[in-house]
Amino acid sequence: MPDTLAIKRISATPSALIPLESLRSGGPVYSKLVDISKCIGCKGCEVACKEWNDLKVEQTANFGSMQSHKDLSSNTWLLMRFNEVEVGDDLQWLIKKDACLHCEEPGCLFACPAPGAIVQYQNGIVDFNQDQCIGCQNCVSGCPFDIPRFDKSTKTVAKCNMCIDRVEVGLEPACVKTCPTNAIQWGIKEDMLALAEKKVETMKRRGYEHAALYNPGGVGGTHMMYVVPHGDRLEDYSLPAHPVASPAPLHGLSVLRRVGSYLLGFGVVSALAHFLAVGPESPEDEAWEPKP
Amino acid sequence: MSPPRLLRFTFFQRAVHWVVGVTFVVLLLTGLAFSYPSLFWLTTLIGGGPAARVLHPQIGAVFAIGLLFMFVLWVRDMFLDAPDRQWLGAIKHYAAHEHDKVPPAGKYNAGQKLFFWVQSLLGVVFVATGLLLWFPESFGPGLLNTMRLLHYAAALSGGLLLILHVYLGTVAYPGTARGMIDGKVTTAWARLHHPRWSGERVEH
Repeated sequence: MPDTLAIKRISATPSALIPLESLRSGGPVYSKLVDISKCIGCKGCEVACKEWNDLKVEQTANFGSMQSHKDLSSNTWLLMRFNEVEVGDDLQWLIKKDACLHCEEPGCLFACPAPGAIVQYQNGIVDFNQDQCIGCQNCVSGCPFDIPRFDKSTKTVAKCNMCIDRVEVGLEPACVKTCPTNAIQWGIKEDMLALAEKKVETMKRRGYEHAALYNPGGVGGTHMMYVVPHGDRLEDYSLPAHPVASPAPLHGLSVLRRVGSYLLGFGVVSALAHFLAVGPESPEDEAWEPKP
Repeated sequence: MSPPRLLRFTFFQRAVHWVVGVTFVVLLLTGLAFSYPSLFWLTTLIGGGPAARVLHPQIGAVFAIGLLFMFVLWVRDMFLDAPDRQWLGAIKHYAAHEHDKVPPAGKYNAGQKLFFWVQSLLGVVFVATGLLLWFPESFGPGLLNTMRLLHYAAALSGGLLLILHVYLGTVAYPGTARGMIDGKVTTAWARLHHPRWSGERVEH
């Protein structure tokens, strides 16, 4: 199957609501699979991300955690969050690979008012085009995972693009390529789902009875999925338990748009109707009337 | 011979009115561009998407200050009295131009007074929600989405008011707009539309 960049949705166009069907059928749909139990916390993926995407380095400072940066930024698209959590009597690092999950139903794209600023490809990648971005940050409030970051100098928003320039020539994203333990894997989404199922089974056999796949249905599934050993403690991984980014708010908005159009149309039509029915009322008219 | 004319709005009142009016139209057009993808091209009118995004809140700040002045300048005249309530009861006759069945209005009729109050209320909604949307990083996403819907709803109501306001002030009642251009209206116009006001003016 060919790797294509066939487009699925473009922000602020009808395709945001009604995804475009591919003219070429059956292109691959990809997903990352992050097995948190295999992560050794080396942060190689962070470095690879910075390097491949040529992102500016930020000065970091020790704030009492193994975590490199406090938060994502417009220059830091990938951050391994080292959440220190007590599980039973044990202190554990519940590490989370914090980066764009590339939702099947992307809340950022639904919220974006600038045509073409956010594009979803049929292969699953959601990418921001900064040249079309107007900097309104609607995508920031539209994202249920708190991923997009506003850049104050460029007045645009940035996030992980799944190394789209690698994927389109048949390579895996840089973080996948560099991961020394295969904690991050890459492939056709169906294969990754099958692999995840096996991983979950294995973990359960080894006593992690709440092990689970994170592929939330509230956003139509994601193109970065996680296998989490403690699936009952999603919040401790900084993963929202019930993220929602269906086009529903967009439908709400489109209802409001329609009501608004009718309202403004009603104003124009009623003014016209009034004019045609009774016309203007002018003091001069009085003078024309015969005196009683 | 030009007809005798009465001063209806001072220069300052007219200036404030037009600051609010012009900024509102620009805000409405750019706002429509942000909320209707098919109207995004309207951003071109003030320099494209990013420029519109930057200017919209700044123009909004001017609009808000203008609106505040407007409130202070006009609020004293805007409380409804007993004849106003009768006027509202006869609004059907007012629309049909049967003005012998309409209780005489003062300087402002009840419709204009209600317009003032609705506009002031919408103004508060615009400013409160607009400020949150201007500085989105300071607030949570859920709140922002609600604020955006409120902002849109207020804007659409404001758009309806604008259409009616312009129609009534120009085409429907010729002579009205003069009050907002050079500030003076003819006595004939005043007697027809605001008899109690023209009466006061004649007595003094």
